[in-house]
Amino acid sequence: MTSGVRTRVLVFAFLGLLTLFALLTVSLTTGEMRIPAGTALRALVGLGDGGDVLVVQQFRAPRSVAAIAGGAGLGVAGCVLQRLFRNPLASPDVMGVTGGASLGAVALLAAGASQTLIPLGALAGGLLSALLLGVFAWGSGLSVTRLVLTGLAVQAGLAAAVNLMIVRFPAELAGSALQWTTGSVYGRTWTEVWGAGGALLVALAAAFVLHRRLAVLDLGDDSAGALGLNTATARLQLLVLAVVLASLAASLAGPVTFVALAVPHIVRFLTGPPTAVSLALAGLTGAVLLLASDLVVQHLLPIEGLPVGAVTATLGAPWLLVLMFRQSSPVQRSHA
Amino acid sequence: MPFRAFRHIPLLLTGLAALTLCTALSLALGTRSVPLPTVVEALFGDAHGRDALVVTGLRLPRTVIGLVVGAALGVAGAVAQAITRNPLASPTTLGINAGASFAVVVAIFALKLNDPVEYVWFAFAGAAAAALFAQALARRAGDIDPVRLALGGTVLQLVLLSWTSAVMLLNQRTLDEARFWLAGSLAGRPLDTLWPVLPTLLLGIVVALAVSPALNALALGDDSAQSLGVPVARIRLAGGIAVVLLAGSAVAVAGPVAFIGLAAPHLVRPLLGADHRLLLPGCLIAGPLLLLSADVLGRMVLRPSELEVGIVTAFLGAPLLALLARKVAR
Repeated sequence: MTSGVRTRVLVFAFLGLLTLFALLTVSLTTGEMRIPAGTALRALVGLGDGGDVLVVQQFRAPRSVAAIAGGAGLGVAGCVLQRLFRNPLASPDVMGVTGGASLGAVALLAAGASQTLIPLGALAGGLLSALLLGVFAWGSGLSVTRLVLTGLAVQAGLAAAVNLMIVRFPAELAGSALQWTTGSVYGRTWTEVWGAGGALLVALAAAFVLHRRLAVLDLGDDSAGALGLNTATARLQLLVLAVVLASLAASLAGPVTFVALAVPHIVRFLTGPPTAVSLALAGLTGAVLLLASDLVVQHLLPIEGLPVGAVTATLGAPWLLVLMFRQSSPVQRSHA
Repeated sequence: MPFRAFRHIPLLLTGLAALTLCTALSLALGTRSVPLPTVVEALFGDAHGRDALVVTGLRLPRTVIGLVVGAALGVAGAVAQAITRNPLASPTTLGINAGASFAVVVAIFALKLNDPVEYVWFAFAGAAAAALFAQALARRAGDIDPVRLALGGTVLQLVLLSWTSAVMLLNQRTLDEARFWLAGSLAGRPLDTLWPVLPTLLLGIVVALAVSPALNALALGDDSAQSLGVPVARIRLAGGIAVVLLAGSAVAVAGPVAFIGLAAPHLVRPLLGADHRLLLPGCLIAGPLLLLSADVLGRMVLRPSELEVGIVTAFLGAPLLALLARKVAR
């Protein structure tokens, strides 16, 4: 890392953390009931007025934590996938993971399962769809292009299944299914946040342990093999990890679009080629993005009850287009 | 490339025969199956009663719409793949279906519409706007970059789909009206839905067929095509217009039906080769063949209820895309 890059990374990390903290404060203090920042922070640890404590601890904090954790998981998953596939469009959406998560969650909704079980359905769906993808795409080794294309196919099939249920459901159920599949952190409870969030932390730790392999894989298969890395195994490990991260994130925040897709581009735009801390920055960026989008949904829009996915798509798309079109040929040039 | 269409006449005839069979099945099969002789009598006005009413009142419009929409989607897919030089391009990739969906959902929400006949122009306008926007995104120094076109279309599609969901969640009535239209279906569309878009459809077919020889040159790459004297940018623009006219009209009538545009050219290519002067007419047959079979299948699997054709094509198209992926990427 040259000193110029190091400075940029440090500035990025500092500003990112500052933004995250500011957004978290806004998220805990604003709403139907305005709570001053100091009071809100005291209420977070259980001190002060009982009403404040209830609102902050039980309603606002889990929602904010779900957005932060979900965003971080999606950001890291997107970063790993794009670098693994050397494709700027590789993301959990393209690979069928979010489609599987949607189907899992909607299937449990259909079965009348309780709200706390829905994330488990999403997790199972995401993992199963990745397994399905593996079965379809596995030929002689793991061809990257084939995997991405097959992923699009799996995603299309799963989306059709979700669509089928939405058409067949009674109207009310269709509404909550649609809300869920667009991505939303509305009404998250601590039970969900502890479960999925804890698992997400473990997966994030594993990602940081394995991330060195990405740099070796970047050298190309021959060089990586010469360095003693079993490339097929390393790819599989990283792939599985990215799928687990994305499924856990989807189980917390729903299959939010564009976060996983846009985050690696933003990180690369701001700090240049990948470094040892790119994954951490991706996690931070994802968290900021999702938390900010959730605040927009809650407070800045005149209409109530919109899913956060509508905002991430709206904010993420122009960014992504600008970033891609700055490069002369997006597909060949971007090694996330 | 010498043009020897006559070599393929037996194949084209076989295709037409299959299409005729499919049409007959589409007229005869359903919740209430009608024997073929009765179908024929009903068509010529010689039969009366319930069976005849089902055939002429419900199945005939549905089948005619299926034939037209399938043909439009098939040709649109072939042209889209040629102008983007991308075997996975289709009306869906260019944001056309998503644009139509968003426009219709907004119209249902804001104008309180509730009849598919009223959606036609909104769907067409949405499809055209999305396609133009995707092309504008891809424009660079007056030229259209195929890679950008596909990427821009995909991104646009994702945004429009989430906006569509958001609008649907605004009120219960919109959700209820829109979700059936969004599944893509030939059911319950009177022929009145078809008439308004017939001129745009025909114009689309004519433009597509007119540019088909130039599309062959495009396949060689922009530089080679240019040196052969083909005006690449203008051909691509004309092709894009044909895709918008065809896919826009199709989605206006039947709602977003996925995969027909992708699958039809891939089905025809192994049989007739990559010459667009044959490929396009081939898709004119393969498109409706695929769409009608999917529609008939959708009527048969859940009897007495039925599955929307858009859902059937998505379920059938997904494994096809997976197979294509195996072939395209080694």
